[in-house]
Amino acid sequence: MIKIENVNKYFYKGEDRELHALKNINLSIEKGEYSIEKGEYSLLTGPSGCGKTTLLNVIGALDSFDSGKIYFEDRELGALSEDEKTTIRLNEIGFVFQAYNLVPVLNVEENIGFIMRLRGFPDSEIRERVKEVAAILEIDTKLRSLPSTLSGGQQQRVAVARAVAAKPKIILADEPTANLDSKNSKALMDMMRSLNVTENISIVFASHDKDVLESVDRVIKLNDGEIIES
Amino acid sequence: MFSFALKNIFFYKSRSITTFILTFVSTLFFIVYVAMMDGSHNSMLKNALKVYTGAIEIYKTGYRDIGGNEYFIENVDEIESKLSQIDGIKHFTSRYETYGILSTDRYSSAAMVTGINPLKEENMSQLKATLIEGEFLSETSKNCLYAGADLIKKIHLKVGDEVSFIGSASDNSFAADLFTLCGVFRTGSFEFDSSASFVSRSYFDELMYAQNKASYITIDVDDLEDVDSVRLSIKKQLSSELEVLTWKTLMKSMVEMMQVDSIFGYISMSLFFVVIFFVIMIFGFINVSSRVKEFGILRCIGLSRANVRALLLYEIFILSSLAIVLATPIGAAIAYYFSIHPIVIEGMSETYKEYGIVSDSVPLDFNIFTISWNVALIYSLNFLSVIYPISYINAFKPIEATRHV
Repeated sequence: MIKIENVNKYFYKGEDRELHALKNINLSIEKGEYSIEKGEYSLLTGPSGCGKTTLLNVIGALDSFDSGKIYFEDRELGALSEDEKTTIRLNEIGFVFQAYNLVPVLNVEENIGFIMRLRGFPDSEIRERVKEVAAILEIDTKLRSLPSTLSGGQQQRVAVARAVAAKPKIILADEPTANLDSKNSKALMDMMRSLNVTENISIVFASHDKDVLESVDRVIKLNDGEIIES
Repeated sequence: MFSFALKNIFFYKSRSITTFILTFVSTLFFIVYVAMMDGSHNSMLKNALKVYTGAIEIYKTGYRDIGGNEYFIENVDEIESKLSQIDGIKHFTSRYETYGILSTDRYSSAAMVTGINPLKEENMSQLKATLIEGEFLSETSKNCLYAGADLIKKIHLKVGDEVSFIGSASDNSFAADLFTLCGVFRTGSFEFDSSASFVSRSYFDELMYAQNKASYITIDVDDLEDVDSVRLSIKKQLSSELEVLTWKTLMKSMVEMMQVDSIFGYISMSLFFVVIFFVIMIFGFINVSSRVKEFGILRCIGLSRANVRALLLYEIFILSSLAIVLATPIGAAIAYYFSIHPIVIEGMSETYKEYGIVSDSVPLDFNIFTISWNVALIYSLNFLSVIYPISYINAFKPIEATRHV
């Protein structure tokens, strides 16, 4: 589904020295590279500043890169316009952010159904799907609440529900447990694993949380922008 | 996107209230201001035309530039017969105008003495309506003089007193007579009131040998808007030695004054709108600036630039529409009310007396077309005010926007 070929991204590139954000990233198993297959449950991990979030953003068509190629299915991200990338993000990728990033003016139900609405799903289907996902994530009693009235754990579950509801091909979750206590972290990871299995959605985390590390199938370790283990 | 915009409006209250109030006030103010400006100009025009000058006047070419007895209109009856056949003409009358000296036993003054048809003049002008003492002229009033209040003051004349007149008849002979002051008028125009006097034509024509002659023929039209087309119709019927002029030429100084007044009025309004525009834009920009992260998140999860544009346009559309829908009927009602019950501005007639303004009251001009373009302009300004905030927010890369503090 995603192939990454020799991707480099620089913080700084001069004649005398280079400072890499990402260095020679290759992710495809068959060719000595690595690919994230559908239904996979993987973790990008490493110390702070190693490039986890940058790689996640590059994969998610949110950030640019300086060289190499990234294929999202058969489309090369570097060759796409901003509008085309937006369309990919809308239709094929779900995002979960560290700081929840819910839309403050929308209630839980509207937040969860927001992407579906943007994609033009009929109202009845949105309502049904929102209820279904909210039940899985145990936030079905909070559908009318505004995000500001929810706890951190509840807000992160709403963010996950929003990412999952429109059935994307992949969910990219950046430090989803960073603002949660251990109990909520574990509960969230259990729910995400459940969604990975029941909804057959690939999920890639960027995190250095132990709870996440223990729950994933595959761990990709990065250091100074390079993959050191996958 | 519409309901999302509506939720944003309720959520970001201070920006919404500010935009609403500014739009409401500017719409209301604009409608009333333009109605007042147009109303005052219409009032000036109507007053000036009503007092003495007609909407259209016919002269023999050369009378206005050179003057003199050679430039009187001959065969007035024939021309008046043609005028009575032309559509759009409400009233008309001929006047024989001459200049001479009016003297009492101790005082003299140069004066304009005009022979008028008293009955027709009642429909054409405000001469009878501005009577302040004595009586207006009639067909049988013979040597009665109807004079301006400031003129009789100069020569210390009272109603019933006799005053001698010396002038030049149409055949260039001396014309002299003894008039009796029968009535006094005051139009409010000092220039007019201090120089004009009138005598019934039936009497005056004999004195001046002016039968079937006139200095000019003055015409009132059914609708002032049609004055140019009526002028053309008249022109077609008359010989080329006669010129047909509308009020726009006859009262050039007043037209220029009105144009200058309009320009200054619109400049003042423009400054007001520049301020309103920037205040709305700044509040919109501050609001958008505080939502950069939110827009970044929305862009990350799939909101396109076009969606962002639509969202902000919907927000300003809803706020503007709400304010305009409320302000327009109020503004229109004020304009309508004061078009029926004019505002009285003390001293206005004194200030503008040189233009023939005789009233201090200014009826507002209630005009649906004017109100429509006022509203369209406010809408346009509000939409323009979100262009910069839209371009500002869309210039961010989604991921950069999410990191915005």
